[in-house]
Amino acid sequence: MAVLINKNTKIMVQGITGTQASFHIKRSIDYGTNIVCGVTPGKGGITHLGVPVFDSVKEAYNKTQADTTILFVPGTSVKAATMESLEAGIKLIVCISNNVPVHDMLFIRNALKKTDTVFIGPETPGIITPDEARLGIFPLNLFSRGKIGILSRSSTLTYEAVLAVNKAGFGQSSVIGLGDGMIIGMDFVKSLELLCQDDETQAIVMIGQQYGEFEEEGAKWYKSQKSRKPVICYIAGSDVDENGHTIEYPLKNKLQFMRDCGIIVADELPQIYEKLISLDLK
Amino acid sequence: MDIHEYQAKKILNNFGVLIPKGRIAYTPLEAQKIAEKSSGSGMVVKAQIHSSDRLNGHFIEKSAGIGGGIRFAGTPQEVGSQAKAMLGATLVTSQTSPKGKTVSKVYVEEFCDCRKTFYFAMTINRTAARIELRLGNIEKETPKIQHDSFFTIPLETAEVTYQETLKGAEYLGVEAAKFHQFIAGVLQSFIKSEAIMIEINPAGVMPNGDIIALDAKMVLDDAALFRHKELSRLIDEDEITPLKRRAAINGFVYHEYDGYIGCIVNGDGLALAMKGLLKDDTACTLNLKGGVDRDKIAAGIKLIATNAKVEGIIINIIGGFLRCDLIADGIIDAAAEVGMNVPLVVRLEGTNSLEARNILNHSGLNFLMCETTLEAVQKILIAAREAG
Repeated sequence: MAVLINKNTKIMVQGITGTQASFHIKRSIDYGTNIVCGVTPGKGGITHLGVPVFDSVKEAYNKTQADTTILFVPGTSVKAATMESLEAGIKLIVCISNNVPVHDMLFIRNALKKTDTVFIGPETPGIITPDEARLGIFPLNLFSRGKIGILSRSSTLTYEAVLAVNKAGFGQSSVIGLGDGMIIGMDFVKSLELLCQDDETQAIVMIGQQYGEFEEEGAKWYKSQKSRKPVICYIAGSDVDENGHTIEYPLKNKLQFMRDCGIIVADELPQIYEKLISLDLK
Repeated sequence: MDIHEYQAKKILNNFGVLIPKGRIAYTPLEAQKIAEKSSGSGMVVKAQIHSSDRLNGHFIEKSAGIGGGIRFAGTPQEVGSQAKAMLGATLVTSQTSPKGKTVSKVYVEEFCDCRKTFYFAMTINRTAARIELRLGNIEKETPKIQHDSFFTIPLETAEVTYQETLKGAEYLGVEAAKFHQFIAGVLQSFIKSEAIMIEINPAGVMPNGDIIALDAKMVLDDAALFRHKELSRLIDEDEITPLKRRAAINGFVYHEYDGYIGCIVNGDGLALAMKGLLKDDTACTLNLKGGVDRDKIAAGIKLIATNAKVEGIIINIIGGFLRCDLIADGIIDAAAEVGMNVPLVVRLEGTNSLEARNILNHSGLNFLMCETTLEAVQKILIAAREAG
């Protein structure tokens, strides 16, 4: 079973004609991802990367039934692009864009409350179900299908987690970049729940950030569950700021909170691998 | 983006928040003239640097005298002499580095006799995605606010309700109608300026019950400044170190520490993870983010290669958006221009990493190629020791 996306998921690309989108979407198509159309206002009617381009999300959705979208639009256009997707009835939005204004994210999170659409990001490298669908900017040839699920609030460290899983010989069931942004859509609670329900996933690697309480919320949910898969957590951060002053809520307190909720903590990056090989998996 | 107290107060006042009468001064004479024109019973001279806790700070120079960055003065002459003491001197606070910050301007404002003061902040709760108020009663005996003892009020919508106001007013023991007006003004400033944080520490209650912002700190959202040209002009370039500024021009993030190994990475998380492994040996980290321009990448690498503190460089890139072949080109361009006079360890993984390795292997450049972050850290420490 795959989480969120599989090889049959019909995907549209908002901002498909941009340079970065073109580079990465071509790779996704080559990977076998079911990209069915793109949207770039003003360029409706053309064919790009072998798929039709439409002027609006609504038109694209009506013509192709693609209910998943990936945003490659500038951060300043994310709010408008998201609202357009929500109105068209899109079920899953993956937002690659960075520099999304914080108050726009407040607005988006409020709009999402009235729907059951899942918004991932912003500033996410995307999501991938290895050997089925790649939705984002992940490097290729890094992933292999297996039994570890990865959730991450840090783009680059997602890849470090993938490499650690590979080295441990396990492979990934699903990799979900939750986004580096200050305010994100899908959080650890929802994503841990998805991976815990997924039969293929036997253990989870969770990469957090020092600021914001997304990790604590996820850990609290995890603690409340009766049967639990092992979760290994790594958070890059510090107990002091750049000037050497102790931070109001130092990293060590956050990590202790995670431990108290039953989560396995990797104190330094290489320990993700060490904790993985110490797991007793089927 | 951080802005100064006088700038934040002006924004707040535009949205109806009461502030003491004040003006900015760049010279002691200007400061004195402001005081001469004032009708207040006394004045406050306040150093304008980006830092809280200026009152309890100290100056490095003896000429600045004893006392922090906020000083009280009775007469215009006193205002002039306090301004003279502070201007050009270096203020160290509990938030600045031990090197402190140079004071280049002071804010001169009328002293405001308040019967009560309290802590007030408006922040964003990231997980709940909503704006929140944080309140604290300031006790005369222990004037420092404990950060875990805030009274928090979540604001459900962009308009503050009377119920929300009442909870806060009861907690602080202030008049609800006046407090409502105060919150509404701060909230408008927060939303219209797209702030991430506004801290008023302290706010004061005047004899007639009016609530006034005695201090103000405001952080604006960089990503939203394109909508607020007037606010983007509030940037104070003197507050940013030259290296940070040079990094920011290219869209990079630079952090400096006390060690001797320079790290070039992509991603804040990876920068912090490297710092975690290198610990006190870290001289600096430069996050190239998603940089996709060869010239900019070369400029970033030059920034580290020409840093006198750096005795060894790690370039650790896991490319997703950022293509490794561009990094390789950037390394070669930078080396050709400024030379690579210290040991260099390179780890390239991800998008176009094979092409990148090929480019570097044929460049004639002297470097060590590594497979993992841990290996890169171990190798550079050995190489730097041998070279030193």
